[in-house]
Amino acid sequence: MAKLWVVIKREYLERVRTKWFIIATIFGPLFFGSLMIVPNYISARTLRDSKIGNLRILDATGTGLGARVAAKMAVSQQALGSATHVITLTDAALSEAESSATLAVMQKRDQGYLVLDSTTLTRLRARYAGSNASALGETQAVENAVRQALLQSRLEQAGIDPRRVDSLSNVRVNMSVEKIDEKGRGGSGMASALFGFAIAFLLYFSIIFYGQNIMSGVLDEKTSRVSEVVLSSVGPDTLLAGKVLGVGAVGLTQQIAWIGSTALVWKFRAAVMTKLGVPVVSITLPPIGMGMLLLLVAYFVLGYLLYASLFAAVGAISGDQQEARQAAAPITMMLVAAMVFAQPVMFAPTSTLAKVVSLIPVTAPVIMPLRMSATQVPALEIALSLAGVALACAAAIWASARIYRVGLLMTGKRPSLQELARWIRYN
Amino acid sequence: MTDLALDIRGISKRYAEHTAVRSLSLAVPTGAVYGLLGPNGAGKTTSIRMILNIIAPDTGTVTLLGRPNTDPGILDQIGYLPEERGLYKKMQVYRVLRFLAELKGVGAKEADRRIHQWMERFDLTTASKDWGLAKLEELSRGMQQKVQFIGTLIHDPDLVILDEPFSGLDPINAQALKDTVVELKKRGKTVIFSTHLMDNAERLCDSVCIIARGEKVLDGTVSGVKAEHGGNTVALSVGAGGTEVLAEVLAKLLADHAMIEKVDDSNRFFEIRLRPGADPQALLRTIVAAGVPVQRFELVQPSLHQIFLEKVGATGVEPGMSGHG
Repeated sequence: MAKLWVVIKREYLERVRTKWFIIATIFGPLFFGSLMIVPNYISARTLRDSKIGNLRILDATGTGLGARVAAKMAVSQQALGSATHVITLTDAALSEAESSATLAVMQKRDQGYLVLDSTTLTRLRARYAGSNASALGETQAVENAVRQALLQSRLEQAGIDPRRVDSLSNVRVNMSVEKIDEKGRGGSGMASALFGFAIAFLLYFSIIFYGQNIMSGVLDEKTSRVSEVVLSSVGPDTLLAGKVLGVGAVGLTQQIAWIGSTALVWKFRAAVMTKLGVPVVSITLPPIGMGMLLLLVAYFVLGYLLYASLFAAVGAISGDQQEARQAAAPITMMLVAAMVFAQPVMFAPTSTLAKVVSLIPVTAPVIMPLRMSATQVPALEIALSLAGVALACAAAIWASARIYRVGLLMTGKRPSLQELARWIRYN
Repeated sequence: MTDLALDIRGISKRYAEHTAVRSLSLAVPTGAVYGLLGPNGAGKTTSIRMILNIIAPDTGTVTLLGRPNTDPGILDQIGYLPEERGLYKKMQVYRVLRFLAELKGVGAKEADRRIHQWMERFDLTTASKDWGLAKLEELSRGMQQKVQFIGTLIHDPDLVILDEPFSGLDPINAQALKDTVVELKKRGKTVIFSTHLMDNAERLCDSVCIIARGEKVLDGTVSGVKAEHGGNTVALSVGAGGTEVLAEVLAKLLADHAMIEKVDDSNRFFEIRLRPGADPQALLRTIVAAGVPVQRFELVQPSLHQIFLEKVGATGVEPGMSGHG
């Protein structure tokens, strides 16, 4: 046990002292924090920036619709100082006016022009041309203004008091979506899906990252021949266990640092967003019970052990980094497969596909936590899936320890599958 | 403490393609410097790995310092320098050595004290530069060898096992190694080393064991082995013009299977092995009668090198064995 501790200590300290660890630990939270703030900030900015610079409205309706549109635009664009000017004219003068308006856009004096002709009111048709015609947000802003102006005109034509038209037609809907499980309502549906996805991604990322870290560590010990010195003091099983546990502890340290500081960023998120002038969209995180937390930890630990021992075995049978990368490809593919299924599972967490991939041991550590945060998974399925992962984990550790023991002292070409099977049978 | 530092009884190791070690038994007395001699591929490294319980023998037992080598903690009293050397390149020298010491159960504080002593002794810590603070990869090859050697001895082991310790050493480090072996012996420690360099073995070892093709060919004290193989070897040197005549005489004797068995011709110096029961005086008379100007005719003990060649011969390396001795 004392020697196991010495090995764990070395694996842990030598990694925690490296520059990349310190950088990743510090920049990780900044990255996650910006994930929480930047998208909101950007979408707010995009909306806000959808200003219709200088807009010329050619109004041939003879009903003052152009002025109305301009007024509507002024409301939505008020902060941005975009200028609209309305030219009232007749249908006959339209083509000449359009030519000069086109020229104005080409010369960048205007950004675009809107044509409201005699058919606009009856057939609900309008035309817009401008340098920003492909910007969806901007053309939609114009379309909205026209729609509202038309609506008002039609309401007035129907005999409704113009003073009431404004207040009646100004309707905004804000629909919040909540998830319901057997314990009742909890958190917003979107937030809990995103949360599940974040957890799945974190698990995927840590398992693959630290798994490969172990692989290159084993490879390094093997190729530098230091393994033989160490093996004359501790058994291969102790060395392997120390490595897996030490690197696992590094991963855990990093995650605790990340989660802690992310929580901190979360706490100040509203304040930061207000500072940036971004409307604060309140997100309620799904409540995580103690049971859920324990299950998450269990999936992380088992999933990590499963893949870490496989990666360690790959390191032990390879002669150099390139060989190791090739040999690790099938293992990495299993994890990537899990991530490929993440999206379909997130959208249909009760489908047969979701059930199957959350039961397969190699994908379960990533998929089941995702599924659990998206829907209520029957306890039996969780138990089955956990048992499967635990079994696969035990088998992987058992086989890998044997491969590791032989492979560490082997030189020369990579063993074939038959040879590997023979190594596993040795004791 | 038992009087045997190492007691091997009938260990064997078979791999799929070949038998690396076949029913090997050895006894190394405490305090001895013991040489494990054999050509490349003879099974030396496999034997050493079995001694250290790095790999398990298929049959047989290994007893270290009176305890089975599977005993927990027994390896803490053994120092091992593998043939293929290497340490964690990216680690600081002090940390590597502390790690190796702690693996052998030495406390951190005591380890630091010993590390500093050794570093100073091997000139790795000087007034101007402390290499202990550098990463291993920043050290020259010679310095890395010193660090590895310190790592082997840092826990003050009672039994030190060195696998081909002289391979790749520069002359200065080779001398330092010899000095250290002698000093270890003076302090009552047991040193076992494998080598295919007979000169080193002959000068350093109290006892040797020659193995080839995974089997023991002979073992015993160096003087015993030489005495056993001595008495039938003649060292002969001749004056100017005698070489050709002598070569003719010897060739004829060899062809007739008379008196001599083998001739090692070094131009002006000949080492001749007599047939069992042959009379060296008769040989001298024959040579003188042929008119050879003899300058030196001496009954000698063969060198370990001679014995090695005689016992192992050119067929000592089994085809298919590669890499490890």
